[in-house]
Amino acid sequence: MSAPLASQLELRDVTKRFGGVAAVDGVTFDIAKGDIVGIIGPNGAGKTTLLNCISGLQRLDGGDIRWQGDSISGLAPHRIAKLGIGRTFQIVRPFGSMTVRENAAIGALFGSAEARRRPKEAFEQADEVLELVGLKAKAGLAVSTLTIPDRKRLEVARAVATKPQLLLLDEVMAGLNNVEIDEALDMVRAVHATGVTVLLIEHVMRVIVGVCRRAIVLDFGQVLAQGEPEVVLRDERVIQAYLGERYAKRRQP
Amino acid sequence: MIAGAIIATYALLAPLTSLDAVQSAGVPLLADKLWFRIATYIAMFMVMATAWNIIGGITGYAAFGNVAFFGIGAYTTGMLVAKAKWPFLAALPLAPVVASAFAALIGLPLLRLRGHYFAVASLGVGVAVGELVQNIDYAGQPLFGGASGLFLPILSIDNRGLFFFYLMLAAAAIAIAVTWWVLRSRFGYGLIAIRENEEAASVIGVNTTAYKVGAFALAAALTGLAGGIFSQWNVFINQDNAFPIEYNVQMILMALIGGTGTVFGPAAGAVLLQLLIQFLGGSLPISFDIPFVSTDARPIVAQVILGVLLVVVVIFMPRGVIDFFGGRSRLSLSYLRRSLRETSL
Repeated sequence: MSAPLASQLELRDVTKRFGGVAAVDGVTFDIAKGDIVGIIGPNGAGKTTLLNCISGLQRLDGGDIRWQGDSISGLAPHRIAKLGIGRTFQIVRPFGSMTVRENAAIGALFGSAEARRRPKEAFEQADEVLELVGLKAKAGLAVSTLTIPDRKRLEVARAVATKPQLLLLDEVMAGLNNVEIDEALDMVRAVHATGVTVLLIEHVMRVIVGVCRRAIVLDFGQVLAQGEPEVVLRDERVIQAYLGERYAKRRQP
Repeated sequence: MIAGAIIATYALLAPLTSLDAVQSAGVPLLADKLWFRIATYIAMFMVMATAWNIIGGITGYAAFGNVAFFGIGAYTTGMLVAKAKWPFLAALPLAPVVASAFAALIGLPLLRLRGHYFAVASLGVGVAVGELVQNIDYAGQPLFGGASGLFLPILSIDNRGLFFFYLMLAAAAIAIAVTWWVLRSRFGYGLIAIRENEEAASVIGVNTTAYKVGAFALAAALTGLAGGIFSQWNVFINQDNAFPIEYNVQMILMALIGGTGTVFGPAAGAVLLQLLIQFLGGSLPISFDIPFVSTDARPIVAQVILGVLLVVVVIFMPRGVIDFFGGRSRLSLSYLRRSLRETSL
């Protein structure tokens, strides 16, 4: 295995147990700087738990996570955010009492080392980010007036406003229709084009194939396969474990 | 705004009380010593409700034991003045220091709890501190005056009532100014983010533990300041008047009535509610009769009415009176529906 780019994030035997169940079981992979990688897998495969481990919301029971060469296992979430790892939540968690602009500004106000700013600068940065994700026209609205796709955009905007070097996206396309997915894909591409490494969890195959350079398949907490999306999705084990027989049959002419 | 108007009125008119001419002319509101006492109490509760708002309203942690900080402030200043013979104005600054240090210490374990668990645990701390202060002995003697309390030497200055009123009003002004600053600062945005969603706040880089403890300690400092002033104003402190459990509920009710998370709301709520408490308790000169209730039972009836008020306020105007009367759609069905929806969240 030769990585064309320097590894930014390295997972080594990452394990997280809940009682007797290993939700994440010895997961090892590297994310290169500037890459865009998709994690797929059936429900309960441990995708979100893995993201929680990376962002520090859950402590590891084994293994190590290294960020730019240094271990970040056991660090508090805010310290990991400061190092430049941003994330979104699958079920969006906007700050409900604030406007769209304020939500994004809070990301800019805290966030990574580069994002530490005064409130006035944070709001300017928020405006740039809202433009990037296509929410500029709704900046002054209350969060409660936003549609679901817009709330997902806001979730991304807040994470991008923290000026991360690595962005973890947890199913930002789930629940969107085809048109909305296309728009969201453009948004992810736009964010990636600003130089941010992206690691995204997705159920929608079109997203993985359309935007990811690499795909990692999780099943029962373990890495089943990884590589180029087209290759991985043709892997027999992946088709059986995740896509099921119906998909396998549809693929045959 | 209501609070601002009242502060302004008092600040302008209060000095007039020192003039004999005005007193003999019989300006009823300000010449009366009783009114002064009530006004000082109002200012004291403005401090406590505004301080509670920082941890309860802005950060969203329903602290039910803040009276502990009031009592610690009162006993800090009280001990330094009564036992160590410090001058009052030298002893006063230590009240907020000791109160906030205590808050930081208990905040570290306490603020790991959320919701009801935090509320109950903080209530326990509030009660426990009062008991400890009364019952700690050192070398066979009660360390803090014990059950007989602490007596402070009376401050020998002219117009004592006016002095303490101004001092308490200054503390209220400080509390309001601090809140104003918090709500415009990075610190305040972090606190609001914690209130709205603590995990989301942490992953965007808010040091949630430090921020929560900071908010708790800040609230404690302001509450302790009010306690410190109270000890010298009242000259005598004991467990009953320095750690009254009902203050816990009253300061929260004031903040809720006025509007949590706002700059002036809790202070406005303090004015309204303290006047109501004094009125119902029969302390005001403008007296009245409650049917079927004897004079002795009135303070109890007052508590009942406050309880009912709390329920009504929480259900019908969860954003406080300022929003209720200042909002566009008051007393409409949609306002009620919106309020009920927010309450049930």
